[in-house]
Amino acid sequence: MIQLHNVSLAYQYDASALNNIDLKIGKGEFVFLTGPSGAGKTSLLRLLYGALTPNRGQVLIDGQNITRMSASQIPLLRRSIGVVFQDFKLLQNRTVFENVAITLEVLGWGRADIGKKTMHILKQMGIESKYNNITQRLSGGEQQRVALARALVNDPKILLADEPTGNLDDANKNQILNIFKDANIRGTTVVVATHDRRLIEQGHKRLVTLNKGEIVEQVEKETASYDQAI
Amino acid sequence: MNKWKKKQPATIKPFKRPTLAGDGFGGRTGFFLSRAITNIRQNVFVNVVTIGTITLALLIVSLFLLIFVNLENATDSLSERVQVTVYFDNELSSQDQAMYREKIVALPGVSRVSYVTRDEALKRFKSRLRGQETLLEGVGAEILPTSFEIALKRSYRETASVENFVSALKRIPGITEVQYGEEWVRRFNSFLNLLRLLGALLGGFLIIAATFIVSNTIKLTIYSRRDELDIMSLVGATRFFIKAPFLLEGLIQGIVGSALAVVLLFGVYEGFLHNAGSFLTFNPATSGLSFLSLEYVAGLLLAGALLGFVGSLTSLKRFINV
Repeated sequence: MIQLHNVSLAYQYDASALNNIDLKIGKGEFVFLTGPSGAGKTSLLRLLYGALTPNRGQVLIDGQNITRMSASQIPLLRRSIGVVFQDFKLLQNRTVFENVAITLEVLGWGRADIGKKTMHILKQMGIESKYNNITQRLSGGEQQRVALARALVNDPKILLADEPTGNLDDANKNQILNIFKDANIRGTTVVVATHDRRLIEQGHKRLVTLNKGEIVEQVEKETASYDQAI
Repeated sequence: MNKWKKKQPATIKPFKRPTLAGDGFGGRTGFFLSRAITNIRQNVFVNVVTIGTITLALLIVSLFLLIFVNLENATDSLSERVQVTVYFDNELSSQDQAMYREKIVALPGVSRVSYVTRDEALKRFKSRLRGQETLLEGVGAEILPTSFEIALKRSYRETASVENFVSALKRIPGITEVQYGEEWVRRFNSFLNLLRLLGALLGGFLIIAATFIVSNTIKLTIYSRRDELDIMSLVGATRFFIKAPFLLEGLIQGIVGSALAVVLLFGVYEGFLHNAGSFLTFNPATSGLSFLSLEYVAGLLLAGALLGFVGSLTSLKRFINV
């Protein structure tokens, strides 16, 4: 589903953000990306949804080489990728419903279908009673669930999460993790960048560790070295 | 790219093929329009600021325009005095009159030709010497020349055109003496050119300043909503899809702003300028200023719409990457 070949990325004044990354993530896999701050986790995720283009190497998503995509093709790519962030990136003065419906509006869905599907996903996230609330007034956990609803409402092939639980308490972390797992069970490939040990332990999935822009360790979940690595 | 598109329906399988918003031009326009109106309703303050800026900027420009157009009109009526006179020593027979008249009218730029008989000339002379009629005692009409007075069309009143016209006139056999007050025409025209140059300069600066202020205001309002742009692009909206509501919003702001400017201008006009009687009275027939013609009002509305649209367009360019 996701393949990176020899990918290097350098920001203008930075030596290099990513260096010679080779990574394969299969369809339906669940992967944690970890490593200290500045290791390149966010940069790697940004490459995957086309917000950055690498200086060298190829990035393939579902067989499509996105380093060769034109600017007008990137939006079409993003329609099959859901993204969530630590700071949620919600429209603060809009309702929960509007924040989630935007994904389907972009796809050109009709009003009735948008209503049905949006309420359906809000129910899954357990926030259907808040559909008419302004997102600003929700708790952090609720806001992250709205962001997840927005990312998952059109059943994306890939879900990318950048420190999704950074601002949340343990109870909320568990809820969010369960939502990731549910999405994964339904067939979505999930990539979560985090340095939250607890989340990784509880998730118990494949682990990719980055440091200074390079992959320093990859551990499969069923191997003996897994517990040691985390 | 096609591959992605084709695969799309599979991802939204549990539901029927969605309809309405994406279908056809009408559905899309309706969607964008409703989105733009929602945006305006949800960002009232920002919109009031933008519309207010457009209104003020256009009010200043249109006020200048009003005065400038009136000044042009005043000088236009003043330039009626640019007149060419052809003198004849003898009274012309009605046949000759018709012949000359025909030849003169055939020249380009003639707007009106009138024949002045000796009696008419004497009458004018007398009226000019009112109170000193004794001077004219014993003077008969026969010492005065007869003449054709020729008024020129608006575009033929420039110094060079008048000179050309006169030389063409002199080529008509039988016409020898022509007068047109060279000095006056020259001075009048250079005054007019100066006026136009000043107007164009001042108007140009005003328009540049107005455009600058409006475009910066729009830039700030769009900057305040860049999160929205980011999120739209994150969920896979095409550039057009992101831009369209903003552009429509700009268009609406521009039209509302310019309409308000016209209304305010009319208010100012009715309140003050309408009966500013002694102002600009080159011509006693026009007292006070006249309001802008319909074409100018339409032009102002169009300028407002354009200002809002182009302002949004250029500002969006800066904030949408991918």
